[in-house]
Amino acid sequence: MGLRVKVLATLVLVMFATLTTRLWFLQVLAAEQFKREAKDNAVRLIEVPAPRGVINDVNGEPLVDNRASVVITINRQALGDQTERVLFDLSQLLDVPADELGSRLDDPRYYVFSPIPVAIDVPKRVAYYIKEHWIDFPGVDVLQVPVRRYPSGSVGAHVLGYLGQVSKDKLKDPGFADYEPGDLVGVSGVESYYERDLAGTQGLVKYRVNSAGRNLGRIGEEQPPVAGNDVTLTIDARTQELTEGSLKAGIEHARTLVESESGYLKANAGAAVVLDPQTGAIEAMASFPSFDPSVFTRSISENEFKRRFGWARGRPLLNRAIQGQYPPGSTYKPFVAASALQREIVTTGHYYPCPGTWTAPFDESDPDAMQYVFNNWTAADLGSMTIATALAKSCDTIFYPMGYRYWDLFYVNDDELANDVVSHEPMQRDLGAFGFGSQTRVDLSFEQDGRVPDAEWKKTIHDLYPESFPEGEWFPGDFILMTIGQGDTLVTPLQLATAFGALENDGKICVPHVLDRVVAPDETVVREYQQNCRRVRIDERHLRYVRDALTGTVTGGGTAGAAFAGFPFDAVWVAGKTGTAEVDPKQDYSWFAAMTAGGGQEHVVVVLVEQGGHGATTAAPIARHIIEGIYGLEFSQFTDIEGTD
Amino acid sequence: MEVAAGKLMVRERRSIRHVDPILVAAAIGLAMIGLFAIYSATHQSLAAVGLDPGRFVKRQVTFLAVGAVVLMLALSFDYRLLKVYAGMIYVSSLVLLVLVRTPLGTSVKGAQRWFELFGFQLAPSEIAKLALIAMLATFLSELRGDLTLQDVFRTAGLAALPAFLVFLQPDLGSSIVFVAILVGMLVVAGARVRYLGVLALTAVALIVGGFQVGLVREYQIERLQAFLDPASVSQDALHNRDQAEIAIGSGGLTGVGYLQGSQTNLDFVPEQHTDFVFTVVGEEFGFAGAATLLALYGVLLWRAFRVALFSRDPFGTYLAAGIASMLALQMFVNVGMNIGIMPITGIPLPFVSYGGSSLLLNLAAVGLLINVHMRRFA
Repeated sequence: MGLRVKVLATLVLVMFATLTTRLWFLQVLAAEQFKREAKDNAVRLIEVPAPRGVINDVNGEPLVDNRASVVITINRQALGDQTERVLFDLSQLLDVPADELGSRLDDPRYYVFSPIPVAIDVPKRVAYYIKEHWIDFPGVDVLQVPVRRYPSGSVGAHVLGYLGQVSKDKLKDPGFADYEPGDLVGVSGVESYYERDLAGTQGLVKYRVNSAGRNLGRIGEEQPPVAGNDVTLTIDARTQELTEGSLKAGIEHARTLVESESGYLKANAGAAVVLDPQTGAIEAMASFPSFDPSVFTRSISENEFKRRFGWARGRPLLNRAIQGQYPPGSTYKPFVAASALQREIVTTGHYYPCPGTWTAPFDESDPDAMQYVFNNWTAADLGSMTIATALAKSCDTIFYPMGYRYWDLFYVNDDELANDVVSHEPMQRDLGAFGFGSQTRVDLSFEQDGRVPDAEWKKTIHDLYPESFPEGEWFPGDFILMTIGQGDTLVTPLQLATAFGALENDGKICVPHVLDRVVAPDETVVREYQQNCRRVRIDERHLRYVRDALTGTVTGGGTAGAAFAGFPFDAVWVAGKTGTAEVDPKQDYSWFAAMTAGGGQEHVVVVLVEQGGHGATTAAPIARHIIEGIYGLEFSQFTDIEGTD
Repeated sequence: MEVAAGKLMVRERRSIRHVDPILVAAAIGLAMIGLFAIYSATHQSLAAVGLDPGRFVKRQVTFLAVGAVVLMLALSFDYRLLKVYAGMIYVSSLVLLVLVRTPLGTSVKGAQRWFELFGFQLAPSEIAKLALIAMLATFLSELRGDLTLQDVFRTAGLAALPAFLVFLQPDLGSSIVFVAILVGMLVVAGARVRYLGVLALTAVALIVGGFQVGLVREYQIERLQAFLDPASVSQDALHNRDQAEIAIGSGGLTGVGYLQGSQTNLDFVPEQHTDFVFTVVGEEFGFAGAATLLALYGVLLWRAFRVALFSRDPFGTYLAAGIASMLALQMFVNVGMNIGIMPITGIPLPFVSYGGSSLLLNLAAVGLLINVHMRRFA
C-alpha cells in the first residue's frame, strides 16, 4: 500500500514539474514580452484633435471656422456583456433608436479598441448625466471636439468641400501614414486640396487607464496640438453669393420656359465661374444643385448619403465647374477661329457665305457618293460675312469648311503614317494650347480633363469600348464637328473660363487657382500663391481680332444681343460667346462665356446650364446678372429671350 | 468503564503531541499569502466605488477564524467514527446537491451552486467532496483481496453520483475534482492500470453522450475550446486567459512589488480574487513568489502523503490519499488555468482564493489529515 501511495505522490510531483516549467517560461524566458504587453494594456494614448485652420475669403471674411461640439464615443471592448443595456440607456438619453447606435458601432473602419463616435452635438444635460453616472456607462466617453462651422451657410460649398472620415484607401497611402481610422480628413474642395495646411498636428496625452478604459491620470508631459494654418482664398464671398444666386435664379426662370417640342426646359443643373484673367484667381465658382456642408459635421449613414446626394437629387456634391465635362458648342468657335487664322485657313479680310446648310465635298463624278449635309443653327441664309461677324452671329456653315480644310491640309492618313510622315494635328494642338483636353491644374481635387479628340484617341477608345464608340476611324466629319464644339469634344466650365481669360489677355494663360495665401495661427504668412502663367502660341493680332469680334455677340445682331439689351456698355466692356450644345437625347445645354473690363478690373464669367436650351436663353442672362452684380450695375430682370445659338 | 474512559483520555492527550506542525504551518502560510493577494486584487476597485478597501480581506479573515474552529472539530474526534457515519454523510451530501437545484439554491452567473445562509454562500459541492472521500475510504477499506473490475466500477459509481449532480449545476470544475478523488484513491487501492483504462473509456463514452443530449452547457464547451484552440472561441474566454498570462509573465523573476502590479491594480484580470488569485502572486512577487507558493503546496502534499503512509489502518490511508488527491488536483487545475495550460473551469486555489465554502472545506480536510496522523499509534 505504501508503494501505491508513492505512485500517487509521483504523479503529483509530475504536476509540480509541469507547473514550474511553464512558470519559468512565462516569468523568466518570455517576461520581457509580457512586461511590454502589461504596459501597453495600462497606458492609453489619447489624441487631442488640433483645431483645423480657418478658410477665409479674399477679404478675410471667414467661410469656414470651428466650434466646439460635445461628442459621445463608445469603446466596444469595454462594453463587454453590457452592450445591449448601455445602448438602450444611451438611445433613451439621445433619443436615437438603439439599433442605429448599434449599427454605428459596427463600423468596420475602426479597430476593436478605438472609441467610435456615436453622437455629435450632444446636449450638455446629457453629457453631464453620462459623466455623473459613468459607472453605468462602461466604455462610454464624453469629449469636446472642434467641428466645422459655416458662418455663411452653404456659400461656396463646392469650393470649400467637406470633411469625412479618412477612407481605407487613403489609410494605405504613405502620405497619410499619420492618420488613423476615424480621423477626419478633407474629402473634397479646398478642405481636401489643402488638407496638409489646414490639418495641423494633433496633440498626444498618455493616460493610465484601467481595464474599463477609465482614466486614472496623466503620465508625463502632454504634447499639445498644433493648430492648422488658415487659408485665404481668392474667392470673394460677395461675388460667390452673387454667382450662386444668379445661377439659381436663372435656372429657376429657365424652368418656366418652353423651348421647341421638348416642352419646359428641365434646367436640372448648372455651373458658373468668375475669374480674373490677369492672374487666374478664381473669384467665384458655383455649381447647381448645391449642398449644405454642415451636414457632414455629424456622421451620416450610407442610406442618408444616397438620399441626400444621389442621382435622384442631381448629385449635388459634384462640382460641375471642374468635374462636369460638356460639349462646348459654339463657345468653342473663338478658339477654332484663332487657330484657323493662325494656320491661314481663313483671313480677316475675306467675306464668307453663311447658307442654311453646307455639304461636305464629295466625289462629284461618282453618282453613288455619300453626301454629308451639315445644318446651320438657323435655316435662313444669312448672306456673306467676315469671320468677326461669323463669330458674333455664330454661323456654323462658315466654320464647317474650316474643319474640312484641316483634314485636307494636315491630316496624315494611315498610308502616310506607314511612310513615317509625322502626324501633326494643328487644330488639336492650338486648342490644347488654350488648355483644352487637359486639367487646368486648379488647386481643387477631382478636376476632369475634358477631351480634345484626335485620330489616335478615336482609335484607342474604339478598341477599348467598341460598344459605346462604334467608329474607330478618323473622318473629315470629326474636324467639321469640332469647329462648332460638338462631336467628341468635351470641356469643363473652368477650362472654358481659363481659355477666355487667355483670349482677353492677349494670349497670357494662367493656371486658375483659389488659394491666395496660407497664414499661420500667429498671422505670419506661410506662403503665397505663385502665379503660373504662360503664353498661347498664337499671334496676338489674331487673338485681338477674335476678342474684338466677340463684342458683336452682345450688341445689335449678335446672338446675345437681346440678352444684353439695354446693358451700359459705356461703363463696362463686354465681349462674349453663346453656345448651344447638343447632348443627345437631352435638351440642349446652354452656355455663355463673357470677358469683361471696366473700372480697372477684368473678369471672365462662364455659365453653363444643363438642359437650359439656347445659350442666349438661359446662360447669357445669368452671366449678365453676374456681371451687373460684380460691377455694381443696376440689375436687369430675367426675361424671356428668343433662342439664338 | 471508568478506567477505560481514563485510558481514552490519556491516549487523546498523548495524541495531541503528534500533531504535524509542518502541515499546519504550510496551510497557514498559504492562507496568509491568500489574504495579501486578495487585498491587492480588490482594494483599488473597492475604493473606487467608495467601499472599504479591506472588505474582502476582512471577510476572508472571518472565514479563516470559522475555518480554525472547523479544523479543531475535524481533529477532535477519532476519525474512525467517520467509517460509521460515512454512508449517512454521503447520502446527506447528495440530498443537498439535489436541493441546491431547487429554488432553495441561489443562482449566480447562470450556475446554481449555493445556499444563501446568513449572508454567506454555502456550496454543497464542497461538502460533497469530503463526503465522497469518507465514503470511498470506507468502501475501499472494507474490501478484501485484490481489487476486481467490479469493485472499480462500484467505487466509480459512488463518485459518479455527486460528480454528475455537480455537473448539472453546471460546475465542470468540481466534477473534475470528484473524478480526481476517485482516481487517486483507486490508485492507492491498487486498481490495475487496465481497469482504470476501462473506466476512462466508459467515462468518455458517457461524456460524449452528455454532449449529445445537451447536458454540457455552451460556456463549458467554450472554455474547453479556449484551452484547446484559443483562436476559435469567444473574445471573453481568450481575454481571461491572455490577461492572466500577461499578469504572470510581466512579474518576471522577482515581481513588480506588492500592490504595484498594473494588471492587478487596474482590474485587467477578471475574477482575480477568486479563480485568478494566483496572478496577483505571479505579477507582484514574480517567479520567486509563485515558486514559493508552489513549494508550500509541495510541503502540504508531502505531509499529506506522509500521513497516508504512516496511517495505522487502510481507512486512514485512503482518507489521506483522497484528501491529497483533491488538494493536488485543485491546485494543479487552478494554477494551470492561470498560466494557460489548463482550461478555465472555475476551481478555486485551495487556501488562497477568496471564498468561504472552499476554505472551510480545505481546513476541515487539513483537520482530518491531522486527525489521522495524531492517532497513528492509537
